[in-house]
Amino acid sequence: MNGDSSRKSLLLGALGVLGFAMTWEVIGSYRLAGLSWPPLTAVLAYLTDPARVPLFLRALGATMGAVAIGYGIGCVTGLALAILSHVVSALRPGTDRTMAVIHAIPAIALGPLFIVLLSRETTPIAIASLNVLFAIYVAACSGLDSASPTHIDLMRALGAPMGRQFLHLDMPAALPAIVTSMKLAVPAALIGAIIGEWFGAPRGLGLLILNAMQNFQVPLLWSAVLLTAVVSLSLFGALSLLERMVYDRFR
Amino acid sequence: MPRLADAVGRAFIVFLSRFWGIFALLVGWELWVVVGGLNPIVMPQPSRVLAEIVTNPSLFFGSALDTVALAGIGLVLGMALGAGIAAAAWTSRILTGLLTPVTLIFASVPVIALIPVIARVLGYDLRTVLAIVVIISFFPAFVFTSAGLRALPPGSGDLFVVLGARRMTTLFGLALPSAVPNIMIALRLAAPHAILAAMVAEFLMGTNGLGNLFHAAKDEFNMERALGASAIATVVSVIAFLGATAAERRMIQRWS
Repeated sequence: MNGDSSRKSLLLGALGVLGFAMTWEVIGSYRLAGLSWPPLTAVLAYLTDPARVPLFLRALGATMGAVAIGYGIGCVTGLALAILSHVVSALRPGTDRTMAVIHAIPAIALGPLFIVLLSRETTPIAIASLNVLFAIYVAACSGLDSASPTHIDLMRALGAPMGRQFLHLDMPAALPAIVTSMKLAVPAALIGAIIGEWFGAPRGLGLLILNAMQNFQVPLLWSAVLLTAVVSLSLFGALSLLERMVYDRFR
Repeated sequence: MPRLADAVGRAFIVFLSRFWGIFALLVGWELWVVVGGLNPIVMPQPSRVLAEIVTNPSLFFGSALDTVALAGIGLVLGMALGAGIAAAAWTSRILTGLLTPVTLIFASVPVIALIPVIARVLGYDLRTVLAIVVIISFFPAFVFTSAGLRALPPGSGDLFVVLGARRMTTLFGLALPSAVPNIMIALRLAAPHAILAAMVAEFLMGTNGLGNLFHAAKDEFNMERALGASAIATVVSVIAFLGATAAERRMIQRWS
């Protein structure tokens, strides 16, 4: 019964995606949205043309390098800040507000700032890591607070030291929220890297997208955006699997 | 008198405990520029940015109004569309199955990367900015409304079935009202992003609003004005977040 219904929802989901792809193709083939909307097959052909593969790979490599470093920095600092303001609770109100305000600064304003502060090459990394940092910090803070009061009382009654309570109770309770935020931080990291590349990075998907838009290279524009979307989706999917494993183990 | 001094002292400590981080950032920035001897064309200090805003209030206010109006309209449209499609999907299992993966795909894609594509299709004008805000606001509304429509109070669904309520009656009488707290969460998440997304789109389109003010000022190397526009956008985005949080709290109090 259960297997049957999940197979059914899988089939419906595949149909939905197929419907989306066909709508894209039909609008493109019949020029329903003008010349700027190419059919999906044309975009795929452009993207997989052997002559252009090196171009896309170079851009993808630059962007993914920035995303990977920024994501790593963001995860570590976000988690460290959350743990710090969990342990030293006097810091919490100030850190919360600082994070919220930093997150509210428009990314396009951070671009010029980081170019002066760092360099053109590291600006995508910096913006990506700030986006990730915020997502991880918020989720880890509320996750660390989510251990049940009964368990905390039990630990205290048994005389467990702070460190032990943190390792055996608070941290496992926070893991599901942290993993979910790691998943949600993937698109955020990509957005940060792409916007960072708009401010003079030598290569990358963001630069490719911006140049293609300004030079009316319609197939190139759609290919770069599709590539970005596919990469984001794959990473998101991989982290969804990790999320499921953590949820099975810790909840 | 000592009591007053006490109260002032306590208020100061509360203020400091909440805002020390922001204060430190601003002071650090000011010192970085002054001590580092940076050219103000490259990087002005916060006091000069503030002076720029104070001397041109109408310029900044007018641009902020443009951005807020567009972001507001887009937010309302996107939220309505997201909640509406979630409600439509709730009435049919087939529709849910068809729509869920497509929405998941879109939710996991960096939407900002779509701005250039939408600009090519719709044109370099306000419609593109509006479309981006609608898309940004759509996903949280759809995801949270869908979840809210499914998490009915225990037993209430059975009651409606026993009383022989039609699907539509259940939707408007039970499911949608019980999804309202979730819709408010979506509003809190979407409101600050709507402002920032509108600004990025305006920056790329060169239409109007804070994004265009930033773009134009940056092209003239007027960094004080460019950062002033960003500072205003930051404040507006924080206000949108605080406003949506307050609305959410009030709504949840009234609803439960």
